[in-house]
Parts: sequence; structure tokens; C-alpha cells
Amino acid sequence: MPHALATDLKIDSAMTLNQVRVGCDVQIQVLSGPGCERLRDLGFCEQLQVRKLAGGRNLICSVCGTRMAISRELAEQVLVSPVG
Amino acid sequence: MPDSPSTIALIGNPNAGKTTLFNALTGANQRVGNYAGVTVEVKSGEAFTPHGRKLRILDLPGCYSLRANSPDEKVALDALNGLLPGEQKPDLVVCVVDASNLERHLQLALQVIELGLPCVIALNMVDVAERAGLRLDPAKLAEELGVPVVPMQANAKKGIVELKQALRFPHPTAPEASWITDGTDPETARRAFVTRLCELVARRPDAHQQTLSDKIDSVLLHPVYGWISLVGIFFTVFWAIFSFAEIPMGWIESGQGALGAWVESLMTDGDLRSLVVDGIIGGVGGVVMFLPQIVLLFLFIGLLESSGYMARAAYLMDGVMAKAGLSGKSFLPLFSSYACAIPGIMATRTIDSAKERIVTIFVAPWMSCSARLPVYFLIIPLLLHEKEGTWKQASVLFAIYALGTLTAFVVARLLRGRLGEDISPGHFLLELPPYRKPQWSYIFRHVADRALSFVKKAGTIILGLSILLWALSTYPKMDGDDEAAALAHSAMGRIGAVIEPVVKPLGFDGRMGTAILTSFAAREVFVSSMAILYRVEEAPSEEETRNVLRDQLAASKWPDGRPIFTPLSLVSLLVFFIYALQCLPTSAVVARESGSWKWAAGQFLFMTGFAYAASLIVFQIGKLFGF
Repeated sequence: MPHALATDLKIDSAMTLNQVRVGCDVQIQVLSGPGCERLRDLGFCEQLQVRKLAGGRNLICSVCGTRMAISRELAEQVLVSPVG
Repeated sequence: MPDSPSTIALIGNPNAGKTTLFNALTGANQRVGNYAGVTVEVKSGEAFTPHGRKLRILDLPGCYSLRANSPDEKVALDALNGLLPGEQKPDLVVCVVDASNLERHLQLALQVIELGLPCVIALNMVDVAERAGLRLDPAKLAEELGVPVVPMQANAKKGIVELKQALRFPHPTAPEASWITDGTDPETARRAFVTRLCELVARRPDAHQQTLSDKIDSVLLHPVYGWISLVGIFFTVFWAIFSFAEIPMGWIESGQGALGAWVESLMTDGDLRSLVVDGIIGGVGGVVMFLPQIVLLFLFIGLLESSGYMARAAYLMDGVMAKAGLSGKSFLPLFSSYACAIPGIMATRTIDSAKERIVTIFVAPWMSCSARLPVYFLIIPLLLHEKEGTWKQASVLFAIYALGTLTAFVVARLLRGRLGEDISPGHFLLELPPYRKPQWSYIFRHVADRALSFVKKAGTIILGLSILLWALSTYPKMDGDDEAAALAHSAMGRIGAVIEPVVKPLGFDGRMGTAILTSFAAREVFVSSMAILYRVEEAPSEEETRNVLRDQLAASKWPDGRPIFTPLSLVSLLVFFIYALQCLPTSAVVARESGSWKWAAGQFLFMTGFAYAASLIVFQIGKLFGF
């Protein structure tokens, strides 16, 4: 995974999927962590847009038209930035 | 042209519709679910091209990638590489992709092309994609990937002929993976290629439209209403099984009584008549009577799975399962075990963590399976002194299920703690498929399969044991009319006398001990054993019904005149059946799935020991309190 530079504003302002409010659309910036291969298989790829549909113990996200439930640990590995 | 039929493998992400396509191609009726992981093994069938060439079709388990993260994905990868025993490398691979979900599903298709196998893409569920507003361009996709692309709708059998055309000989040559260039990481290259492809061939107006499924989910996955619905749905299922089954059970009961009376009037009195009426009709009939309940249970599970609710239940249950050291992924295997532990244990293949999987396999037989229902239905009304089918009995049944389930969770937690943490923690990840109309034809076929296998079991194992039991309780014969003495003199009476000291501390007599012994072959046999063992006590009745058996049980007494079936001994008997692992096929499946006989043997000894100890504690403590 590319290392984030302190000056890289885009990544600097990124938050994890856990911190996103329910109902918001976000764009995936970076995946980092042990679960990222699995996440990519499921459609959580860089540059894709996702919408968080529910929070809680497990999150529900809409990604490429599919609803996926993922655990908080996995969502922690998805860095996103808001769209629009 | 080679003589042997070409082997064609179907591969795709879970829920892409591989099994629906497989059924459409081969005319088979494999089970289809709306839940990832319904296919956990490779299944094969035959199909013909429009020119009449025979094809062998393999249905592989669904997988998200070819990296083999879980056992079922490994099976799929091995099949593609020709590593499965008895299977050759497929001549052609059909990649089933969900057209409404190309971003994700094409990743797998690219990986298959990279393997260098000839490939055809079945662009399934075009109707769903079009309804979602996607504009698809199959010709462009075929051009970009260099493989034939067939748009289709497998559940409506649209596009099947076109697909068969694409499977004709000679097969297309293996395409080149144009996206792989020297120096780039294949992962990154694949992703970039898929993103570009999707922009070209599947333009999506708004990916996050609120669908009908989302609206339903906002209620069914709600932190409060969601739980109310979950409990409501599962309680309704249990209640319905208990009350709806009454009507057909009555028919079977009276039909069987009439058959017994008819045979009795036809034959002269003697050993043969006794064998047919008491042994065969009484023994087998007592078990066949539970067919309606089993059919209903499988029907409801099929409905929940096919509609897509099962995945929501798994999502909701994840928090509960975590308390037992498991995850939401263990929910489907454990819930299926309420019907039968064998499909439940097979379904554990979708669990990524090996340790979680072994724990789930270990406790699955404690989810009260449908084979225990006949025993429960015999005992519960006796315990409550009521006719069958009241709400009180439904509550007792619910409590029985709850007891088994709670114990399973406690043991799972202890066992999980002992096994230690996973090296790489597997996280909860689940696709929530859109709600779909249940595929009735498949559900009915599946239910019919299960019912048939139950009837087959009744016709083989249970029939055999019924005849054996009848013989054991009839021979050696004794002169005189005292039936109780004749039974004590018979082989069965002698076995009972030997067993009695072992089961007496649990509140059972020798005959119950013998019936329990026979139920280790299959639990349902208990009911027919009891029917055979106890009907000898009184004059043979006109109707062979459970009510009569129940009356006879209620009237039976110890030699000193105390009734055998006190409420306490009945509770003790129920507890024994909740916990004991009395099913040989389950042990065989556990041995296969866990990869060692030690787990199966350990599980059998542990559960049976636990059942004995629990019954002992219940009976002895109950006696102390004066019940």
C-alpha cells in the first residue's frame, strides 16, 4: 500500500468507514490492514463510491449496488473521504 | 473430435446464480438458496449441446476470488486446476457473473482468464440489472475481454440455448490476459481494468438508489423492530409446525389404524400376523406419522433462505453468536441443524476461521434436529396430561429447543476459549442479497427430497430394527398366557434386565433402556421401539395410535406398583434426548468434515456422557425435592 505523506491532503483528511455518518456517500481512498485483500474481493476497491446504510456492531454498506455487512474491525481498514 | 464428453465448470461469486444455471442446463434439481454458500461441494450433471454432443457440467462452490480463503473456495480452485480426485481439468469454464454487479464479479472472471483456461461469460440476471437502470453492452464486453459473452436470465430459462451454442465444439481458445503487463502488480492491473470496463459496458445512473429491499431492511434490521420481527418469525415457524401438522397426522394415524385392522382380519392368528401388525405396521407407522412435521420444518427453512431473510437473521445474530465465541456465519449452519445436523455441518464450510468451524461442528448436534421431534411429541402430551396441539405444549417445545441451544452456546464458548485465538482474525463479512420471490418449484423439490429420504429411512433402518425388536421381544417363547412374564422371558426382557441397573438412576426401567439403546441407530426408532415393547402389556387394541401407546405408558408400573412415567422421569427422558448424540450418519459426516475420527469419537462420547450426567442430575435432584 502506498505510504501516506504528511503533506498529502487527500489522505490526511480521510476518515475510516466507522466514522462516517449513516446515509452518507463516500469515496474509498486507501485500504490498509490484514483484511484488505478480502475487502477488494468483495468490491471495496480504491476510488469506488460507497454509501453507509447502517452502523452499529456491524456496518451495512451499499457498494456497486450490493448490500454488504462488514465488521467494525474491517471497516477500520477502509479509509474514505466525503464526496461532493 | 474427442470421444469423451467435454467437462464444463461453472464458477462465479456466491449468489451469482450458478446453481440456477446448473439446474437449467442439466434439468437437475439441486437446491438453490438466496444465501452465500448453498453449494459447498462440486456437483456434476449432464447436458447436451444443440448438436447433441454430451457435456459434463460441474457446479463449483461460489467464491469471491481464487485465493482460497475458506474450504469451499479451495474446492473451487482445486477443481479448476484439475486437482480434485477423480476429476480432470475442465475443458471450458463458464464464468457466471451477476450483470447488476459487474464491478465485483468481473474480478473473478479476470482471474479465471489468467489461469489460461478457455472461458465463456454468462452474463446472468440481466433483468435485475436493467431494472436497476444499468445500460449493458455485452458485445463490447466480449470484445474487451476476448471471450464470448452470453446475456441471460437463468431463472426464467432465457439465454440457455444461446449459452449451449457457445459451449459447442470446438471450444473457444484460451484468451490472453491483456491487462497483465510486465512490471505491474496483477491485483492493481486487474482492478484498473475492471473499473475501465465497467465505465464502458455498464453505466450506472445512481448506484445508491433506495431499493425496495432497503426499505424492508430499514424495518427488519432495525435495532428494535428487527429483533421483534426475528423472534416473531421464528416463533411463528415453530408454532405453525406444531399446529398445522395436526391435520395430516390425523389422516396418517387413521389410515394406519385401518390398515392394521384390515390385515388383522385377513390373516389367521399366529406369529406372522403378529410380525406384520405389531412389528411392521406398528413400528414403521409410528415413525411415518411425523412426516408432516419434518416436511413443514424444511419448507419454512427453504422459504426463509430463498426469500433472502436468512442473511438478515445472520446479520442480526452476529452479536449474539459473538457471546458464544462464534460469528453470524455460524448462524445458518446451526439453524439448519434444527432440521438435520448433517446439512448443517456441511454448511460450516462457508466459515473462514478453522477454529470457529470446528466449534460449530462440535455443537451443531445439540440444535434439536427433526428426528427428535417424534420423541418430543410422544412425551410432551404425556407430561402435561393433555391432548396434542395446545399452546402450552408449544411453549414446552420452545423451552426444549432453548435448553439445547443455550447449552450449545455455553459449550461453544468454553471450547472456543480452549482452542485459542486465530492467527489471522477472520472478520464478519456477509452479503445481504436483495429480497427475492421464493423459488417455489425448487423449495418444493427440496422438501420432497427430504421427505423421500425420511420415508426411505423408515423403510430400511426403521423397518429392519422394528422386525429385529419384534423378534427379540417374541422369542424365545414361553408357555402360558401371562404376557408380562413372556416378555421378561424373551431375549429383549433379558437385555432389559441387564441394562436396568445402568438406567435406573435416571428414572428409566429396562424397557426404556432397551428402547434408548435401539435409538442410537436413529433417534426416531425410540418411538417404534416403545410401541413394540409396551403394547405387549395389555390386550392388543383396535387402533394402533400414539394415544393408545401413551395410555399404556401412563398405566405402566414398577413391580412395586409405583408408576414408571412420573413427570420427573419424563423430564429426565427429555433431557437425555436433548443432549445425546444418537445418529450414526452425523458422526460419519463430522469425521469427514473435521478430517479426523478423533473429533467424531470425542463428540459422541462427550455428548452421550453429558446426556447421562444431565439426566442423572435432573432425576436425583428432583427426587430429593420430592417430585
